[in-house]
Amino acid sequence: MDFDLPAEHRMIRDTVREFCEEEIAPIAQEVEDEHRFPAEVFDELAALDMMGVPVSEEYGGLGGDQLMYALVTEELGRVSGGIGLSYAAHVSLGSKPIELFGTDEQKEEWLRPLATGEGMGAWALTEPGSGSDASDMDTTAEYDADAGEYVLNGTKQFITNATVANSVLVKAVTEPDAGYDGISTFIVDPENDDGFEVTTVWDKMGLNCSPTCEIQLDDVRIPEDRLLGEEGEGWTQTMKTLDGGRISIAALSTGLAQGAYEAAKEYAGEREQFGQPISKFDAIRDKIVDMHRKTERSRLLTHKAAVKYDEGNRVTEESALAKLDASESAREVAEDAVQVLGGYGYTEDFSPQRFYRGAKLMEIGEGTSEIQHVVLGRQLGL
Amino acid sequence: MKVLVTVKEVAEVGDDFAIEGTGIAESDLEYDLNEWDDYAVEAGVQLAEADVADEVVAVTIGPERSEETIRMALAKGADRAVRVWDDALTEEFLDVAGKVSLLEAVVAEEEPDLVLSGVQAADDSFGATGVALADRIGFEHAAVVNDLEVAADAGVANVHRELEGGVEELTEVDLPAVLTVQTGLNEPRYASLRGIRQAQRKEIAAKELSDLGLSAEEVASALTLTEMYEPESESDAEMIEGDAGEAAGRLAEVLREKGVGA
Ligand SMILES: Cc1cc2nc3c(=O)[nH]c(=O)nc-3n(C[C@H](O)[C@H](O)[C@H](O)COP(=O)(O)OP(=O)(O)OC[C@H]3O[C@@H](n4cnc5c(N)ncnc54)[C@H](O)[C@@H]3O)c2cc1C
Repeated sequence: MDFDLPAEHRMIRDTVREFCEEEIAPIAQEVEDEHRFPAEVFDELAALDMMGVPVSEEYGGLGGDQLMYALVTEELGRVSGGIGLSYAAHVSLGSKPIELFGTDEQKEEWLRPLATGEGMGAWALTEPGSGSDASDMDTTAEYDADAGEYVLNGTKQFITNATVANSVLVKAVTEPDAGYDGISTFIVDPENDDGFEVTTVWDKMGLNCSPTCEIQLDDVRIPEDRLLGEEGEGWTQTMKTLDGGRISIAALSTGLAQGAYEAAKEYAGEREQFGQPISKFDAIRDKIVDMHRKTERSRLLTHKAAVKYDEGNRVTEESALAKLDASESAREVAEDAVQVLGGYGYTEDFSPQRFYRGAKLMEIGEGTSEIQHVVLGRQLGL
Repeated sequence: MKVLVTVKEVAEVGDDFAIEGTGIAESDLEYDLNEWDDYAVEAGVQLAEADVADEVVAVTIGPERSEETIRMALAKGADRAVRVWDDALTEEFLDVAGKVSLLEAVVAEEEPDLVLSGVQAADDSFGATGVALADRIGFEHAAVVNDLEVAADAGVANVHRELEGGVEELTEVDLPAVLTVQTGLNEPRYASLRGIRQAQRKEIAAKELSDLGLSAEEVASALTLTEMYEPESESDAEMIEGDAGEAAGRLAEVLREKGVGA
């Protein structure tokens, strides 16, 4: 077992870190305050070949593995959870399913612009009435045989990137009463498909530079070649997609924790009270040691899940475990970072509050922590 | 036209470090590509992108560890690299003359039209390698270059040199030449991830002294490092506080104490 990253991965991580520190960190709070999706940052990420890290070179991606993708996502999280979230949703949810389940034509038309970073990807599963119980959805896709088109109707909730997306992968019921087997996935083009409308962009507790949207689908007619995979495969696709997606949320969480830990460690070494740096007080030192412990643990679980994924295994257990642990750790580490900075930690002039706000989402998106327990319980045969 | 870029892996120390003998403890060192060499690499790559250069070769003197840093030059667009090292070099301090002998041998093999070199290295800061190399190999040279245009057909490089006091000198340098590159010449790019991946497959040719037809004596240093210590730093800064009147009063007092206007 080799715990050292391959040289190529290390070089990529270091370069991405340098880019993030120089170009993203200085604007990370500003884009949060403005609730602004920083398109210019994503253009730069595209120029550096970051938008399609785990997508094959044949379709404009980098051809890297899940481990490489996890490293890049962690580095983004270390400076901006919001940019990291939009990035992870673009790659894991918006792009990977097209690569895994699409035809060559679909990959050429829809995957390539995402992998090269020309456009953003999005993925719409959640609805107002179905969140954790995602398969209980109301959105329908009816086949109009005469026109050779599907007609989509419904509402999707909390869809990352919908306002800026080139394509949205929409889950809809094609066969009512068939349960899991009645769900299919469709590639929807927000700009050119009539009847697609973003009805709300939510103001959130954090991650506000990443647009989270409610979508209305009103008789959206799309040609039948926009069906991804076969009819009825939507749910199994979802499970596979989330196996990969949860690794990226775990990586993002590790990044948030790392950012918060570093901020606290640096501050504690400089801030003096009672005539000494506060890091010399046992209470603060122990907190920082624990922050480091949790961050390192998250990283190990994340890398393990990524490596298993790259070996071609199903990683339902590993990815759920990594996501559960890393998201919880990120929230705890970020909260402790606020505490270490005292009153300054509570202000927006310092980063811990931003990590804290961002970390909370990681325990909710792509399956809440409660749902990760359900998944893991099942894996353990409970 | 062929461009040879000299690059060096430099050691950086943090705030806390321990001195061991005539060096700094290995565990306190971090290695990175020398900042000025980054400008030189960028200049070389830009010449290739403008179709002025056909090939950009990076050359370094350093142990195997330095390959990771040198690979960054390849990731940014250099075509291949040469790394010179020999067990004989690990023992002693390698001075400028020694480095120049090694680079001279590489120049003889590569026959570049232009050698780009950082104006100095961030660690030992001799600031001499580039110009000393030019002297040895009989190339024209210009130092502290912060603007560069190469007219390959005419066989000249038009350069700006930064002189003291903000004065700029414009010079025409005949090729082949060695230019040492200063901050401001360009804005080095980030290596793209594809560049990094491709760099893993680019050649780094390792050369020992015997490959270059040199002996240990020929590169032996005339300089010996005798001691390394941290100088005592003294500072007695006084922050003058209070409103303008009070501050001016205190400042006048201090100046008088120091003998100003006495
Ligand atoms: C910022 C953000 C971005 C998002 N991006 C996307 C996206 O791009 N695409 C997308 O499709 N969705 C997205 N989501 C939706 C997200 O996946 C859901 O919010 C999440 O799955 C939870 O669903 P819910 O909000 O309906 O909560 P509910 O399912 O209503 O859960 C409420 C509470 O009940 C608990 N609970 C529910 N069922 C159980 C159970 N069986 N056992 C124990 N506890 C249970 C939950 O854990 C939770 O604590 C995003 C959400 C946010 C906030």
